[in-house]
Amino acid sequence: MFELLGAGIANIIQFKYLVPLSIGTLVGVVGGALPGITITMTVIVVLPFTFGLEPLQGLSAMIGVYVGGECGGLITSCLLGIPGKPSAVATTFDGFPMAKKGEPGRALWLGIWASIFGGLLGAVFLVATTEPLARMALQFGPWEFFSLFVLALSMVAGLAEGSLIKGLVAGALGLVVTVLGNDPVMGQARLTFGIRFLEGGIPFLPVLIGVFAFAQIMSEVERMGGAYKAIEAVDRGVSLAVSHLKVIGEILSRPVLLLWSTFIGLAIGVLPGIGGSAANMLAYDQAKKFSRHPEKFGSGIPEGIIASESSNNSNVAGSLVTIMAFGIPGDAVTAVMLGALTIHGIQSGPLFIAQNAPLAYGMFAAYIVAHALVLAILFPGVRWMLRIVSIPKAVLFPVVLVLCVIGAYALNNTVDNVYVLLVFGLCGYGMVKLGLPLAPFILGVILGDQIEINLVRSIMTDSNPWLFLTRPISGGLLIASVLSVALSVWQHRRQQKRLAAGGGEDADF
Amino acid sequence: MLSRDAWAGLAVLAASLVLFALTLGLKDSPLVPIGPGFYPRIVLGITALFGAMLLVSEVLAQRGRQPVAPPMRDKLNYALVAISFAIFGLYVVSLPYLGFRIATVAYVAAANATLDPPRGVRGWARVAATALVTAFITHLIFERYLTVLLPRGAWTAF
Repeated sequence: MFELLGAGIANIIQFKYLVPLSIGTLVGVVGGALPGITITMTVIVVLPFTFGLEPLQGLSAMIGVYVGGECGGLITSCLLGIPGKPSAVATTFDGFPMAKKGEPGRALWLGIWASIFGGLLGAVFLVATTEPLARMALQFGPWEFFSLFVLALSMVAGLAEGSLIKGLVAGALGLVVTVLGNDPVMGQARLTFGIRFLEGGIPFLPVLIGVFAFAQIMSEVERMGGAYKAIEAVDRGVSLAVSHLKVIGEILSRPVLLLWSTFIGLAIGVLPGIGGSAANMLAYDQAKKFSRHPEKFGSGIPEGIIASESSNNSNVAGSLVTIMAFGIPGDAVTAVMLGALTIHGIQSGPLFIAQNAPLAYGMFAAYIVAHALVLAILFPGVRWMLRIVSIPKAVLFPVVLVLCVIGAYALNNTVDNVYVLLVFGLCGYGMVKLGLPLAPFILGVILGDQIEINLVRSIMTDSNPWLFLTRPISGGLLIASVLSVALSVWQHRRQQKRLAAGGGEDADF
Repeated sequence: MLSRDAWAGLAVLAASLVLFALTLGLKDSPLVPIGPGFYPRIVLGITALFGAMLLVSEVLAQRGRQPVAPPMRDKLNYALVAISFAIFGLYVVSLPYLGFRIATVAYVAAANATLDPPRGVRGWARVAATALVTAFITHLIFERYLTVLLPRGAWTAF
């Protein structure tokens, strides 16, 4: 393992890989820092640029975006009080008050270093667990894979914010998208409505790009033309200089907080479809609960920043574990990576590491090296980030959508994919307006084909349907699916009771 | 009057039932134990069930709910959203006829001018510059360096 990792690092620091990784990290830092532009959006923008690259070059660029984005999001959280991305919301609670108290450099670098430490601890987990988990998944038959995918989908639907039923509806709608087109066994056309393009099924990347890009951009466009303006609370001329040794000492003097927050980030990253936005809030909440002075949270204390930032960056490692070991995307960013793998003809799943060891260890290496690159970018460039984030959205949004069009078109050089992008862009915005969560929908679109193939394979191998329950792993996974839905129902009811008892106060975290 | 969620449930229920009915026309093959409609029927059946659950739960919740005034919300600019979608739709439709470069220049200029209406010559110059630079740079990077062949126009051959 260490030999392969060493070879991966030696490989990734070569010029041909280091350049896309560095550019991806820089783009990620900028995208993460831009309020209203999420990491998913940034990685979607980068996607078409990776088509002409080698797989490791393209995936390095995407990993750079992911790591850079998680670190970049804290810049505006600390200095402007506006989270650059949802996974930096909790950083704002203490980062911004600390900056307002005259310590913007301390707030910023506490976040950056906590993010780096969280990410590197996550790297240990990523490297140590991915291969054993993949080896375990190699023992799976179609029954187990079917049950695993059902578990992933039920967890995402259950953990979706708001209503459980809406999460389930969204997940089921995602599966419906995958039943359009020829059936995988005999190739018979079904539900194609005479449209030839639909015979091959709907490719998931234009769906993903359309749903996420339009849902986000149009939700921002709704608010344009109003009185909304970014508040610039910290003077741009103020010094951001800080003693890095002192900041690192502040973080390392709280090892339990750092380790626990990192663990929360990893655990949430491994669970499909939840993402860093939940990780940072949960880690912040836990840090507050276990603190000896919870009343100080929100006033600008280092614990709040460390908890939030270490968790959201380790979340990246957790998401990468899930996609590399099982082929299940942990979040939207890894879903785009899954698409990039498919474009390069690489099958994700348990065989991925065994069949593509240099690529897999190259990805691990890219993840580790990206942290060093983040520091190399932010040491000289942190002040510039404040200027970059003032790019007008009226310029940014059309450019992003042009890149989305290129991304969809270049998949197989057909305008039909661009029509899919438009249709699902409308669907994505409609889903946002109807309050239907996007994560279960996308996971349904991604896993739908695999669920069908494994269901058909298992029935063709042995028509006894009880095998899904009597095979121990498959049965365990299905029971876990039912339990996850039951847990969501229980949590939802408990929340409703609390709301009723508290007259609706403290409904939001 | 049905709530937004109840309408969503009803729409999902209706659509999945229509698609379910269409799968009944799919012919099974004697070569395999399950036909092409087997999995779609399961998925559409489950979707219809969830849609019905959403509809029923909303209707029941609505009955128990006291009528309250709608919450005060920021005024959202839906007209701008509709125009933005329309401009993007025109862009997508015109791509095969005008080609990437011309359609992109027109789209970026139109979208930029809609989202931030230009004032004076300087404003229009900004719009034109953004549109030309976007089309030029994306075309250069993708066609020259990443060997991605972007659409040529049937009318313009450009």
